Amino acid sequence: MSEAAIDINAIERELRQMWQEQATHPEAGGQAVIRALTLNLIVRVPDDAWAEQVLAVAPALTAQHPNRTVLVIDRPGSATELQANVQALCTLTNAGRTQVCGEQVTISARGAPAGQLASLILPLLVPDLPVVLWAPGPQPFAQPLVQRLYRLCDRLIVDSTTFADPVRELAELAAFEQTANGAPAVSDLGWARLTPWRELTAQFFDTRPFLPHLHRIDEIVIEYVAGTHPNPVAALLFVGWLASCLKWTPLADAVGIEGETIQLYLRRPAVGVGPAAIRLVKVELRPVALAGVEGLVRLALRAVDNQQAEFVVELTGDSGYACTRATIAGANPIERTATIDHPALADLLNSELRLLSRDRTFAAALHLAGGLAQRLALP
Amino acid sequence: MATPVLDNPLRAGLRIGRTPEPCTMVIFGASGDLTSRKLVPALYNLARERRLPGGFSVVGFARRDWTDDYFRDLLREAVNANSRSGPVDPELWASFAQGIQYHRGSFDEADAYTSLAERLAAIDAERGTGGNRVFYLATPPEAYPTIIAQLGAHGLAHSNGWTRIIIEKPFGHDLASAQALNAEVLSVFREDQVYRIDHYLGKETVQNILIFRFANGIFEPIWNRSQIDHIQITVAETIGVEDRGGYYDTSGALRDMIQNHLMQLLCLVAMEPPALYDADAVRDEKVKVLRAVRPLSVSDTVRGQYGPGSASGRPVRGYREEKGVSPTSQTETYVALKLFIDNWRWAGVPFYLRSGKRLPRRVSEIAIQFKAAPTMIFADTPLNDLDPNVLAIKIQPDEGISLKFSSKTPGQPQIRPVTMDFRYGASFGVTSPEAYERLLLDCMLGDGTLFTRRDEVEASWALLTPILQAWAEGPPQPFPNYEAGSWGPAAADEFIARDGRSWRRL
Ligand SMILES: NC(=O)c1ccc[n+]([C@@H]2O[C@H](COP(=O)([O-])OP(=O)(O)OC[C@H]3O[C@@H](n4cnc5c(N)ncnc54)[C@H](OP(=O)(O)O)[C@@H]3O)[C@@H](O)[C@H]2O)c1
Repeated sequence: MSEAAIDINAIERELRQMWQEQATHPEAGGQAVIRALTLNLIVRVPDDAWAEQVLAVAPALTAQHPNRTVLVIDRPGSATELQANVQALCTLTNAGRTQVCGEQVTISARGAPAGQLASLILPLLVPDLPVVLWAPGPQPFAQPLVQRLYRLCDRLIVDSTTFADPVRELAELAAFEQTANGAPAVSDLGWARLTPWRELTAQFFDTRPFLPHLHRIDEIVIEYVAGTHPNPVAALLFVGWLASCLKWTPLADAVGIEGETIQLYLRRPAVGVGPAAIRLVKVELRPVALAGVEGLVRLALRAVDNQQAEFVVELTGDSGYACTRATIAGANPIERTATIDHPALADLLNSELRLLSRDRTFAAALHLAGGLAQRLALP
Repeated sequence: MATPVLDNPLRAGLRIGRTPEPCTMVIFGASGDLTSRKLVPALYNLARERRLPGGFSVVGFARRDWTDDYFRDLLREAVNANSRSGPVDPELWASFAQGIQYHRGSFDEADAYTSLAERLAAIDAERGTGGNRVFYLATPPEAYPTIIAQLGAHGLAHSNGWTRIIIEKPFGHDLASAQALNAEVLSVFREDQVYRIDHYLGKETVQNILIFRFANGIFEPIWNRSQIDHIQITVAETIGVEDRGGYYDTSGALRDMIQNHLMQLLCLVAMEPPALYDADAVRDEKVKVLRAVRPLSVSDTVRGQYGPGSASGRPVRGYREEKGVSPTSQTETYVALKLFIDNWRWAGVPFYLRSGKRLPRRVSEIAIQFKAAPTMIFADTPLNDLDPNVLAIKIQPDEGISLKFSSKTPGQPQIRPVTMDFRYGASFGVTSPEAYERLLLDCMLGDGTLFTRRDEVEASWALLTPILQAWAEGPPQPFPNYEAGSWGPAAADEFIARDGRSWRRL
């Protein structure tokens, strides 16, 4: 369809026809096809390379969250150019089972003003279903289309691992989340990638005798993959998470940079010495060179106050595994190997789509990490 | 002691549940079928999904002369063959297997328990298990009293951490024996340490019954005698007795299936909403259902035993020809029964239960049949041509829920039944964990909701024991009375037809 011919009614007609064809298709083998929509997903991508990535994960999304996807390829350019096409997305199932299908509308645009795009997208949304806007890539908040649409959405998903200026954009993300205050709810796929690290860390302290040490942490060292340009966002979010859970607050001059290493200083309540007493927690974030992985590599929590204890989670030589080790002075270290798969993009999205409202744990971690990022971003 | 939930500040907002504290699981009967087919694969999968803490340990107790290494290799093969996640992941297995030991001994040998106590203390010191223990009785039921008494005599029923015991089915073979076993268990352990397993409760769809009923507002108002005509609960198996003939011949379908699994399903569909979702509140409501069931008489039941026939197109033996079964056996391999729950919600609504072996399909479901529309206003369709609405809760093999209702045939005046289907697997696109995974984890976390409490077991036996007695005293049955591969005896069809109803075609 050319610009003039983009016609919402035509798209709707095509969608209806598509379902009728699906139902009578000989290859369906008499199987019922179920059109099951649980949400509207608007994806805004800056170019074709991103569009391909999105198309690659779409079937896995349909399998768990059958949806109407409106994929907008929002390329810059001077001449306005607009095209649309429609497609059914069915998940492959075992023979004899009902197929579950979702729908996908692709709008391919160049140089189109945000208002024009929005006027095409909005009538295509299925009524009474949640609307999720996913804006992968750098600088999501600078995109006019995102600015135009986010208020109409229930959830906005960004990915901090794709930020161009990570520390600055983290601060922006934090500010946005706070202002939005749940409308829309905000998700970061970079945060979702931390889930196994948070799980493995939290699990140490499900063990009754270890729990007291959690309140006496004095030192944290987090190593993360340096890559082409270091992105300390994951490490900052991890610190933000620990600090918000444990009621630590950043010092006034909380940040220092020594070469590549970021140093952070927070205060925590001191244990067993009166209500107002505090102690310092020293945090180091170190980029390390490591090929084939992304994100965190190793983290160590250390308590030196009173009884010495150390809790370490680190990737092992073989990819996909981490070793966890708890060492309490005077006892055998307790070690185990656990899986820590590099999660597929589709899994990360699926886990975020499962959330129905604002993720308060994330909001608290982000708020704290955002404060640290803001100080780091100062010249 | 039920463990108080630890206040781990890092738990808030994490998407998987808390992990149990490090503990040692002692499996009695570690060379048996259940250990290698279910228990160890379930534990391994829990470890694989990061649900078990570092330090978690297993001690296998059996009498064969095996070494730790031999035992580990055997279990590895068992996991390779039986795990839902496929062959073991070598890295993970290596870490998991470090925590596995083999303890040789006979169940009646006192020294074996002395050395077990020492071994457990050593594991506490080395692996940080802090005195926390689960004893799993995966043994023939005759061994339960011996093991329990020995554990008590060697001070193993209590420790400086927590101690729990899991008891497999069968829990008794009638009311008196169940009471006797309860008395034995409770002379050594407190009730809150005892976890009687019914693996049906570990199935996701079974748990979903409560969610479905009590997390949706639209069902509760129609879940009663004014809207429901009757309820059918079916658990059909295609297998025969396999190599459990010797055991089965002393048991039968009423003991093996109805007393536990079907009664549990009955409780879950019929119970009142508990005030909260906790172990005692849920089980209190279940017990109330069992106590409200009107006493059964033999005329409320139909028995069957399969003769030769076929299964999946192959000829198969009759029950009396199975290994370990008496050629004149009077044991039932099929039971159908009707019961009433005499309370305000259910008075007058019949519940039909049936379960059997060597039936044509493996299927478990609960079907709620609603009353028909009161009058027929559509002239072209006589009222008796209308199918009533049926809500079917399918437990296996295709877990899900379906609702049958009437709709107009396009372009024609007829009304046809259509089915609206919700498939668990298709909607969530993930495989459900095995029942044993959930149950083992719950026990380690100290959550007894999905286990059977003492009064529950006894109430169920109290209901069924008179039937067992009457059967035993009554005249011999003309067994076999159904062909393997058919839907049970003709008498069962007549039984329900007498009430003007019929079994669902499944
Ligand atoms: N298998 C299942 O799928 C299944 C399902 C539900 C419930 N169950 C229940 O689970 C329990 C175990 O079933 P199973 O099929 O695993 O039984 P099994 O294969 O017969 O295993 C019994 C185990 O007990 C051991 N044992 C028996 N007497 C002993 C003694 N005096 N001293 C030491 N060890 C002794 C056996 O050791 P040896 O190797 O030395 O004989 C073997 O390890 C039963 O209560 C059964 O009803 C089983």
